[in-house]
Amino acid sequence: MSDAAVRTVDLAKHYEGGQIRALNGVSMEVARGEFACIMGPSGSGKSSLLHCVGALDVPTSGEVWLNGRPLAGERDLDRVRAREVGFIFQLHNLIPTLTSVENVEIPMMALAKPRAERRRRAEELLDMVGLSHRRGSIATKLSGGERQRVAIARALANEPGLILADEPTGDVDSRTGDQIMATILDARRRCGATLVVVTHNPRVSWEADRVLEMRDGLLSPVGTGAEVRQAAQ
Amino acid sequence: MLILRNLLRRKVRSLLSLMGIAIGVAAIIAFNAIGQGFKRGLDQYMKESGAQMLVVNRTVQDPAFSRVSKEEQDYVRALPGVTHVSVTTFSIAAPRGLKVKSGMPALLLYGRAPGDRLLEKFRGKVRGRVIEADDEIMLGSITAENLKMGPGDTLDLFKRQFKVVGVHDSGISFERVGAIVSNRVLQEELKMGEAASILFVYLDGDWRDAKRAVEAKHPHLAAIRSEEFTVFYDQLEYIDWFVWVISLVSVLVGGLGVLNTMLMSVSERTREIGTLRAVGWSRAMVLKLILSEGTTISFFGGLVGLGAGWAGAEILIRWAPRDFLSTRYSPELFAVAMATALVIGVIGAFYPAWQASRLSPIEALKYE
Repeated sequence: MSDAAVRTVDLAKHYEGGQIRALNGVSMEVARGEFACIMGPSGSGKSSLLHCVGALDVPTSGEVWLNGRPLAGERDLDRVRAREVGFIFQLHNLIPTLTSVENVEIPMMALAKPRAERRRRAEELLDMVGLSHRRGSIATKLSGGERQRVAIARALANEPGLILADEPTGDVDSRTGDQIMATILDARRRCGATLVVVTHNPRVSWEADRVLEMRDGLLSPVGTGAEVRQAAQ
Repeated sequence: MLILRNLLRRKVRSLLSLMGIAIGVAAIIAFNAIGQGFKRGLDQYMKESGAQMLVVNRTVQDPAFSRVSKEEQDYVRALPGVTHVSVTTFSIAAPRGLKVKSGMPALLLYGRAPGDRLLEKFRGKVRGRVIEADDEIMLGSITAENLKMGPGDTLDLFKRQFKVVGVHDSGISFERVGAIVSNRVLQEELKMGEAASILFVYLDGDWRDAKRAVEAKHPHLAAIRSEEFTVFYDQLEYIDWFVWVISLVSVLVGGLGVLNTMLMSVSERTREIGTLRAVGWSRAMVLKLILSEGTTISFFGGLVGLGAGWAGAEILIRWAPRDFLSTRYSPELFAVAMATALVIGVIGAFYPAWQASRLSPIEALKYE
């Protein structure tokens, strides 16, 4: 039994009857409160790993443990996603017809939190990501960076212990990307959550406690973020 | 918040679905109100006679073709407890027989015996007087208006000349668009001898004894309570049946509109549904969301339909044929129409909702 926030054991994920092998026996551990960054080229299996870890997808074989419990033993994966995992997607995936504050409330609806509590929490989170002045704006009226910050607030709505970010800066310019990462790291610091980011952008990894590289469905250690930064400079 | 925002996202599409349901509900309200109004008119007509029992020929489907012979009339008259029997006849004069340019499609003719108590009810409601002879006619108020005739005028009908002796307004649509002549006129024109169409029987005893006696002696006759007239005749029930079939077809079309709208909506929002699932929404929550959207369309469609049905029925009865139809609304009718709309909405939205709830979060998120 491990007390790691995330643990995978020999994780495999195959598609199309095994013709596509996205994950080929990935074993890893991410400690509580750690920021792990998984890098690698497109199609290397990063997102598949994130989806399996976040209970969005079921692995072909192997095990995923979250907070010391195997996902395979969970009866209600929806509840696991709602309570324990916060997702940040590359394309933010906001509901376009809802306002910023309403989008942040969405995960709290999954846990049937009272309306007033939802609204208070959502406003706090928007304030935290610097968007309190945009709380009433419809998602489509926000800039790319603003949308991603709303998505960060949404990921934190139910105070999850684990934040999973899939290419969070992939859809914005580098300056905005830096701001988004700063927002994610600030939010993580305040919430004390574990953070796993998958990206192909090395700049994203510079603040990571640990950097891993995914290649052909296999994971290998690279070093710390500071080491990656130093090597890059 | 999500429900209304999603529906307002495609306003025209949602509005068209809503109108589909509204038209169905309006059909239920309008057709039923007119059907019920028709039956209520008949019931009121029978009840106002004051007779406790009606005797008709059960072998015909339409009371207009009912025949009760003279011998049978005499048998009923002689029964214990029977105080009076009013003999009535009925016919419809086609425009050919109606030699007046009136625009009336036909004229309902009620045969009564001059001096009979069935004519008593017109006292105080007639301008002029009631008929007293075979060459006299009393017009209903609408008929008089259409024919532009009043007491003292002469009406050509069945190659006979009738003196208009009175114009009545009984308040019953069937009578207002008709005319009353002597039984003998209709018996001659219809070649029915001394037979009657319907007997109105007045009793001071138990009507059930009289009923048993009539039906035992003459099995082809039916003795019914006057307030059961519309229940007895199957074809009047067919009105209800027909009305409901038409209404349900209309509302089903509305349901298909909801189905189509929700299917398109789910297809367009696949990624959003994936997002909802990713942040922890269960299948049941997604199902409920889509069902709620369908039900909301149906609810507002139903409300619009209730109003439109009422307005439509009122316009229809004033349109054609004039004043012949009336309407009757009941809280049950509105409740059933609304419930039908909601049920159809739920059924129409169920498949798309089920489909949405079955989406795998990861597949939905990857959907292009």
